[in-house]
Amino acid sequence: MLKLIQNEWMKLWSKKTSWIMAALLVVILFASMGITKWVNSSMMVNEEETWQEVAANQQANAEAMLMDPNLSGQQKDYYEGQAAIAEYRLANEVPAFEYTSMQQQVIDAHAMLSLVTLFTVIIAAGIVASEFSQGTIKMLLTRPVKRWKILTSKYITTMIYAILLSILTIAVSALAGLIFFGIGDGTFLVWNGSEVVEGSYWIEALKMAALSFASVWIIGTFAFMLGTVFRSSSLAIGLSIFLMFTGIQAVYLLANYEVVKYYLFTHTDLTQFYTGFMPVPDITMTMSLIVLAVYFLIFMAVSYWTFSRRDVTA
Amino acid sequence: MTEKPIVQIKNLSKTIGKKNIIKNLSLDLYKGQITGFLGPNGAGKTTTIRMMVGLMRPTEGEVFIDGQSIQSNFEESIQKVGVIVENPEMYKYMTGYKNLLHFSRMHKGISKKRIDEVVQQVGMQNRINEKVSSYSLGMRQRLGLAQALLHDPKFLILDEPTNGLDPAGIREFRMYLQKVASENGVAVFVSSHLLSEIELLCDRIAVIQNGELIDIKNVKELNVSRYYIHAEPNELALEVLSGAGFPVTAHDKGYLIDTESQHIPGAVNMLVSAGAKIYAVQPHRATLEDQFLEMTGGGQIAETHSK
Repeated sequence: MLKLIQNEWMKLWSKKTSWIMAALLVVILFASMGITKWVNSSMMVNEEETWQEVAANQQANAEAMLMDPNLSGQQKDYYEGQAAIAEYRLANEVPAFEYTSMQQQVIDAHAMLSLVTLFTVIIAAGIVASEFSQGTIKMLLTRPVKRWKILTSKYITTMIYAILLSILTIAVSALAGLIFFGIGDGTFLVWNGSEVVEGSYWIEALKMAALSFASVWIIGTFAFMLGTVFRSSSLAIGLSIFLMFTGIQAVYLLANYEVVKYYLFTHTDLTQFYTGFMPVPDITMTMSLIVLAVYFLIFMAVSYWTFSRRDVTA
Repeated sequence: MTEKPIVQIKNLSKTIGKKNIIKNLSLDLYKGQITGFLGPNGAGKTTTIRMMVGLMRPTEGEVFIDGQSIQSNFEESIQKVGVIVENPEMYKYMTGYKNLLHFSRMHKGISKKRIDEVVQQVGMQNRINEKVSSYSLGMRQRLGLAQALLHDPKFLILDEPTNGLDPAGIREFRMYLQKVASENGVAVFVSSHLLSEIELLCDRIAVIQNGELIDIKNVKELNVSRYYIHAEPNELALEVLSGAGFPVTAHDKGYLIDTESQHIPGAVNMLVSAGAKIYAVQPHRATLEDQFLEMTGGGQIAETHSK
């Protein structure tokens, strides 16, 4: 199996697209941070908000949210934490990171994983389909290796590529943040349910990235399935990206119906449990993980079933 | 032949939808023998070959390679097979060497030395580190052969291997296959619709039409000793030759006689002493095309040129 993954890895990096996408990711990350710095410096003319004012606003906001009687348990926990942290900051003179600091950029890096999703979809959709379109599938399947092993090696390779790009996103965000903003003052605080404690911003960044990766993973798997079933990478890429955008919108349309709880895109964003921003408030992390796992198993079963049974006529 | 066959095709059938593409096809292939697989377009050659290498599942029947079934024992049986299905499609964005490395990793125990050996064998050592996209068709064909030979197969299966090769390339390819068959004792199975090519390459020919195997012949049996004699006046020549007891048939401007070569000087002497003027005496071979037409009933002759 290791040799098969080695093969797929070699083929992946022999294609220009893989390099272009990685390079594009680096360029976009640098550019967006550059723009942030530029926008920020041109707005500096306005009077600066002190960190105390920011924290006071946060506290007021969180307390206002807590008044809402429709709040779910999860959201309540979240806003209680926010209020407690803001209060702690003001009471103990502990400022948060500025937005224009390397640390805050690292924490926010997970937001850029949507780019990684896009690039992963392109790779996932093409890794099986391209073998069919180039005709190399005949060479690949007439070897003493079972078909499911070949498919597994392709899936694993796609996921390694996705993980690599995710790590790259955090690393480049840190580097660009350091270059454009430098290390800022401040302390990262977390609410552990009963008290406010100091936390590591690196761990926070990795946690958020890992939660965001769920969406890269499931949408990548979906594209992988489409590429395997339709043997056409363009169809698979188009359909996956279309569903990725419309699918999330559909969550709002379906929000009042029970079926939304079993709908994939309600659960793709796992960071929602840590940002309080929940379109469907009464779901839990466990529920999301179970729904994602069920979709994953279905996508995989369809891929393996078609790939191992198909008559190759290409 | 009492020798155990390397490949046994047993009652192979394939039905797609309601159409029977292959009907109950059985065939044995032996060590060191090159068997041609001939048939009009759409007769089921490619489908048969795809079932033989596990790319398609037969509806019924089985293919055994060295006693093991491709259908139920895929990994064990396919490792004895080298495959070139149509034009060898390689990863164009990688070098020839990386392509070979890629395929070698899918077999057990192929060393880097073995790859170099095969590269030498097909004469690719100068261009092996260039991208496949820069290769000519002939070079790709050689690389295709190299990947099929990497694991030292006992059975080599080729689908339309000379499609698109120039005459020099075809000739080189033919010599190479014959060498592999005789020196390594490999059983070779070649499908083609290029009749002349099959005739030069193969020891044996299996003819398929409408999914059924209609004939298997040894090429040597096909070559009955026959001579063409053109002498004037015609009537005199006919009288002399048939008088001497040769079976005579009219052909072109003269006659064909079925005889061994040692009788030819005698026949010529008789014609000369009878006063006939001799214009031509030459061995005559019925071409495979004639025989192919005869076997398939003439109606659906495949093109003698590439698609």
